[in-house]
Amino acid sequence: MVANAGAIAVSGVSKVFPNGFEALRSVSIDIRRGEFVSFVGPSGCGKSTLLKLIGGLLDPSTGDIAVAGQKVTGPRRDVGVMFQTSVLFPWRTVLENVLLPIEVFGQDRAAAAEKARGILSMVGLTGREDAYPRQLSGGMQQRAALSRVLITDPPIILMDEPFGALDEFTRERMNLELLRIWSERGQTIIFVTHSINEAVFLSDRIVVMDTQPGRVVSVVDVPLARPRSIETMKSPDFARKAFEVREYLGVAR
Amino acid sequence: MRAGTILSPLSFIVILIVWEVIARAGLVSPLVLPAPSRIWDGLVILFTANWFAQHVWYTMAETLIGFFVGGIAAIALGILMVNQRLFKEVAYPYVVAFQVMPKVVLAPIFITWFGFGMESKIVMAIAISFFPVVINTVVGLESVEENEVLLMRSLVASRSQIFWKLAWPTALPSIFAGLKTSLTLALIGALVAEFVTAKEGLGTLITTFSFELKVYLVFAVIVVVSVLGLVLYGIMEVLERKIVFWRRSRFTG
Repeated sequence: MVANAGAIAVSGVSKVFPNGFEALRSVSIDIRRGEFVSFVGPSGCGKSTLLKLIGGLLDPSTGDIAVAGQKVTGPRRDVGVMFQTSVLFPWRTVLENVLLPIEVFGQDRAAAAEKARGILSMVGLTGREDAYPRQLSGGMQQRAALSRVLITDPPIILMDEPFGALDEFTRERMNLELLRIWSERGQTIIFVTHSINEAVFLSDRIVVMDTQPGRVVSVVDVPLARPRSIETMKSPDFARKAFEVREYLGVAR
Repeated sequence: MRAGTILSPLSFIVILIVWEVIARAGLVSPLVLPAPSRIWDGLVILFTANWFAQHVWYTMAETLIGFFVGGIAAIALGILMVNQRLFKEVAYPYVVAFQVMPKVVLAPIFITWFGFGMESKIVMAIAISFFPVVINTVVGLESVEENEVLLMRSLVASRSQIFWKLAWPTALPSIFAGLKTSLTLALIGALVAEFVTAKEGLGTLITTFSFELKVYLVFAVIVVVSVLGLVLYGIMEVLERKIVFWRRSRFTG
């Protein structure tokens, strides 16, 4: 039971929406505990749908998904979710937004406030605890959203293009910070993106997906050494991996 | 200081002077348009009369009781409609139909049903101020975004948590906009019902003075009613700025 905490098993999963749109056709993937996996593909390949299915936010039409050895029947509190937009509530300060999961879980808010301040300082938001979301830049808003995921220490984090709306520089900095946090805490992370470079830079494995119907075309191992830095992107191995993924997407077309 | 902040009050003074000159020159009968100085005399008469305060109190009580009862009932109905799909489908057409209907036509009926006293005026104030709040409550509650609901669902939030931590604060700016309109409407409702038949209230004073051809007193009461309307609106503005302080952020991103 503890051995497979954080492990995810997707077997034969398909999703057809009520309007007849076939979003996913028979997807099977096993994700190990503590693994960093990216889903990459063009719009409409079903990568976000697959993420929501794993998070229990959608039900599969056929097939099964198991998290920590248990069949997924709905959202779970040991799975944290982060979206492309920060989804911060404008009437709450940064600190209050970070404490939202604690309130929903019915845990002690005062005890968690210290922890929240610690996480906010770790992501570089010291001094902004009492600011409102509209007073923050897009990058800062996503840092606050990341803090809100981290506050409950979920062993699994699902990220749906979390940095997709940020500029290139901010995005690279966020990626480095995410890797640092992941290396310290060892969560299982599933990261949806349409950026091949981002996927190669972050991941242990990349699930390459394509459209019509949404499906997995290949799973690519990324054995680049860790810890990774901006230097990693200059290496020939990095370029080769990125090209390999690109080829799968090209061939599939 | 901007030109408008000087010119606006200045123009008001100019209008008063021109009005005074025209009236004194005898170009218009004082029975049609009394001079501003004459209206001022009327105000002095009203505020020194021992019977005036109770008329103000009467109309204000009708307005405020109607506003509070109607407002609370309207918000409750709006919440019920959003949470009970079937009820909304059945009830919403009625709400829209009543919204379109000019409710002043109901005033004589309410007087035959509820008598000459305060009750019929309160019912009229409720009837006229009710529907903007119902509709704004429904629209506000339904403006919750999909990602916000997904976030709450990913935390396994209960229905009541989703309502109080997400839907209610999301709807507040819209509900407040409805309440602001409806407070002014409640005052109109009370006055119109008083016009039809009443023993007390500012509407009664207007009809009585009209019959007695004391037009300057009619104008004086109109000034009092206008100031009361402004004060009520001002109070709502202050409350709105305090309670839904984040309102502007939703539009500026």
